[in-house]
Amino acid sequence: MTTLIEVRSLSKSFGAATVLHSVDVDVRAGEILTILGQSGGGKSTLLRCINLLEVPSGGDVTIGGEPVVADGRVVVKDLARLRQRVGMVFQRFNLFPHLTAIENVILAQTKAAGISEDEAIENAVRLIRRVGLAHRALAFPDQMSGGEQQRVAIARALALHPMALLFDEPTSALDPESTREVLKVMRELAEGGMTMVIVTHEVPFARQISDQVVFVDAGYIVEQGPPEMVIGAPREARTRSFLSASGAA
Amino acid sequence: MNVPWDRYQSDLLAALLKTLEYTILGFLGAVLLGLLLALMRRSTTRVVRLPAAVYTELFKNVPLLAIIFITYFGLGSTGVRLSALAAGSLSLVIFYAAYLSEIFRSALGGVPAGQQEGAQALGMSRLRAFGQVILPQALRLALPGTSTMLVDLLKSTSLLVTIAAGELMSQAQLISSETFRAMEVYLVIAAIYFAVCYPLSQLLLLLERKVQAGTPLAPGRRRRMAKAKALLQAGAGA
Repeated sequence: MTTLIEVRSLSKSFGAATVLHSVDVDVRAGEILTILGQSGGGKSTLLRCINLLEVPSGGDVTIGGEPVVADGRVVVKDLARLRQRVGMVFQRFNLFPHLTAIENVILAQTKAAGISEDEAIENAVRLIRRVGLAHRALAFPDQMSGGEQQRVAIARALALHPMALLFDEPTSALDPESTREVLKVMRELAEGGMTMVIVTHEVPFARQISDQVVFVDAGYIVEQGPPEMVIGAPREARTRSFLSASGAA
Repeated sequence: MNVPWDRYQSDLLAALLKTLEYTILGFLGAVLLGLLLALMRRSTTRVVRLPAAVYTELFKNVPLLAIIFITYFGLGSTGVRLSALAAGSLSLVIFYAAYLSEIFRSALGGVPAGQQEGAQALGMSRLRAFGQVILPQALRLALPGTSTMLVDLLKSTSLLVTIAAGELMSQAQLISSETFRAMEVYLVIAAIYFAVCYPLSQLLLLLERKVQAGTPLAPGRRRRMAKAKALLQAGAGA
């Protein structure tokens, strides 16, 4: 399989604080990579450096063979296109509250990706069905549960036909019922072959769904490998203590 | 002798239109300048932020009447002679832009930071994100304050009587001096202001409620929603 996302010696500092130290990650097409670790350990920053919501301080990022960051400098020519190819789902959904669910899925198609309005609407209806929310399509975000909002957010990201999706703690703001709904949609995406990078605290889910798990602590990748290794038989003490604190070991 | 109102009918109508003209010019100008000032005040660059802050503080703390006198009589005395229409509209723009900029600034600040990121992550340019995501939400937040300012501005056009601007209050003064029936004249004029301002306020409240309820008002949005609805229903039966 071809490597879709290639991260090399990536580092990121905010002022004097270094939150990522020379991190290497490879994500192949169709692969699910989960990033585990303590809050504040650099997981989200790593994710946000991939679609350049954060600008890395050093290292290289290559996406679909195209250099995005080279030697700490942003070299991607079409940032908008990059972000459409690598969609993102946020912890707090970030749906547009002045628009209905279906309009949330339509907007970026017509206003960023240049898809015709008719096609965008058809696309949106198909996707809102796919996440099981046809009956809620005309509701506004503040009328929806957290789980419903997150499923709309996933449909919104899918509408731009991304080749990979980044999930930044997609269930951390949700109750257990909503969490189940969202994880179900993510499982279906995984079965459909979508490439995904997931920052999560759901260890059992990570173990089931992942091809690769990365454990990040204090800005370093402590351990990396298949879930049966990193979660099932962690070698590092820090990974073990994190997993036992999560009640998953 | 009563005031021969039928003789003044066409004059009053012309004066009312003049009042509305000042209101529209003043309000449009103030909205544009106010928005510009609000954006400047949100800039991260001090040299952009500072002049906007100074402007706002200055004109919020000076009476409108003083601004009218300065633009009409003051500038006139230095050789820059503006017409009553130009000086009057300009004064309203200058004064109300200061207030509107405060309303817009707080409205823009009320849109959560995640909205900008959400739009960016979908590949929208900064300008698109502002126009499609930030501004529509800010306008909703700014609507109540802005409505109040519009009605206030309409009433404040009466101050333009001091530069004989030909609006309602100037016309009232004229009729009063011709008929010596001050009480009757000014009561009628007050009633005309009320008859315009009250429905306008109610209309703006209605608009506010519709926007709050998310009713699609733009034709494009209605079409989109109708099409989506039709597609959703078509699939529901299948």
